[in-house]
Amino acid sequence: MSKLPLWLRIAGNSAASLILGFLVLPILAVVPASFNKASFIYLPPRAYSGVWYERFLEDVEWRTSLLNSLQVATLATVVAVILGTLAAIGLRRLEGRWRAGITALFLAPMIVPVVVTAVALYRSALDVGLSGSILGMSLGHMILALPFVVINVGIALRGVDENWIKAASGLGAGPWTVFRTITLPNITPGIVGGAVFSFITSFDEVVVAVFLAGYSNKTLPVKIWESIRLEFTPVIAVAATMMIVLAIVLFLVAQLVSSRREISTQ
Amino acid sequence: MKNAGLPLRLEGVSKRYGTYTALTPTDLSVAAGEFLTLLGPSGSGKTTLLNLIAGYLEPTSGRIEIGSRDVTGLPARQRNIGMVFQSYALFPHMTVGQNIGYGLAVRGVPKAESARRVAEVLSLMQLEGYANRPIQKMSGGQQQRVALARALIIEPDVLLMDEPLSALDKQLRRAVQLELRRLHQEHGRTTIYVTHDQEEALVLSDRIAVMDRGRIQQLGSVDEIYDRPANAFVAGFIGESNLLPAKVNDMAGGKATAEVEAFRRTMVVQAAAGVEPGQTARLLLRPEHLLFNKTDDGVPAEIVETVYLGELSQYSLALESGHVLTARQITDRSLRKGMKVTLSWDPIHARVVPEN
Repeated sequence: MSKLPLWLRIAGNSAASLILGFLVLPILAVVPASFNKASFIYLPPRAYSGVWYERFLEDVEWRTSLLNSLQVATLATVVAVILGTLAAIGLRRLEGRWRAGITALFLAPMIVPVVVTAVALYRSALDVGLSGSILGMSLGHMILALPFVVINVGIALRGVDENWIKAASGLGAGPWTVFRTITLPNITPGIVGGAVFSFITSFDEVVVAVFLAGYSNKTLPVKIWESIRLEFTPVIAVAATMMIVLAIVLFLVAQLVSSRREISTQ
Repeated sequence: MKNAGLPLRLEGVSKRYGTYTALTPTDLSVAAGEFLTLLGPSGSGKTTLLNLIAGYLEPTSGRIEIGSRDVTGLPARQRNIGMVFQSYALFPHMTVGQNIGYGLAVRGVPKAESARRVAEVLSLMQLEGYANRPIQKMSGGQQQRVALARALIIEPDVLLMDEPLSALDKQLRRAVQLELRRLHQEHGRTTIYVTHDQEEALVLSDRIAVMDRGRIQQLGSVDEIYDRPANAFVAGFIGESNLLPAKVNDMAGGKATAEVEAFRRTMVVQAAAGVEPGQTARLLLRPEHLLFNKTDDGVPAEIVETVYLGELSQYSLALESGHVLTARQITDRSLRKGMKVTLSWDPIHARVVPEN
């Protein structure tokens, strides 16, 4: 890089900054927008206040939708992590030909258009009485989140040496002890990564949620989507800011876990 | 750490994968406290045999006994074996002490006792003070010792080692070989050791099983294997050999009358079991047993190459028939390339062995 002429470096860095700004600034704009004092979104705000945060927390509908989202995302994540981890372990034991085919099936929810999945889930949820329920939305999101867990844990499992397993069982450990003491500690970063992706996938998911949310069980993204069609108040920016903050925090957690893992294997 | 382990017995143990036979039906008896090496090239079945004993593979047929216990159907965790892997297979997320104590922890040994025994093994391995080190901070030689300590601490009935020194450099390997021999002599425990390095096998073993193509070709003491190889493969794999085609005309009293085309003469020499009249076999002459005569007695040959190895030299000798022999002698500066010599040997050292 340092061999490039100065002007080219300046040009390159400027272009990179512009692209980054183009990508990030519209998202970050919601943060100052949420601190507007007026009941309309001005950018930059003419006067700052936290009044819309108060409004958000006082309003039962907003509060409930946030809690719904947290509930749905937590449940979806827990189920996706358990099933996805088991699936990744199972896939690793399969022989090559079968592994490729069945992996493709597990990753399908990433490729199938979400609206197709949503329609299919909507129809099925009606049949089993899960339509409009938190559980129904959680399971729908779990399906979307599953590929992230399968991929992340699958990659982590590649780092688990078959001989560690053999050594542990030779030393007297049963299959469950081997999993708990050898496999699990070595795939934890993959599981945490998969969990973070699962949580975020569910937390900002709107298509499946629109189809499955009942009148009283709206998630935060659904509530934002509905509100924005009625009124354009800074409370929407407040909700969006909360989602951004949560996403950032979760990614930091994931980074922290994987960097601690790297230090310990050096 | 005082028990000598248990005897091991295999009866007709085999392993097949579809149509591929990794191990033909094999019988093997190992005495308590014995150090037996499975020696052979890759693909010879030695690692398969080791994994069958460990319980990591299920035999296609046969029966495995440790002591008086039939372990054929038992998984590895119930066999009380200690295994040292080629890659060591140390647990990367644990300290040295946790690695070594793993077998005790899963057996539910109380923490205090476990800590005491770990300290004991660490000092046996000359690793005092390393208990709290992460595995990654240990050198290759130290990791090798941790792997051995982890296998020994559970007081296994049989200790199994799969090419444990192949990841070490040559000098270190030599030192660890001697260390292993010392450990075995002090705490003599039934040991099955897999290697493809003949020198390692000679240094360590009470007995050697030479393996090739899924079969034990010969099982015997180090001397037996070297002095009386059962066939041309064993003769060629252990030590250096001249193996010349020999047509066997007659067999009588353990001696063969064989036509050796390389020497253009018929000779009466000792024969290994399995040599039969009418067969084409091999005449074995070790390089160190070929003698140079400066008279006309013996087989005429020309020195075509000399390699100086220090106190020994190696000579390539072309016979009139065109065959080339290798001889190894105390260095004699008067022997030079291009010189004509005659060769002889003590008949005790010539031996006809079956082709395979």
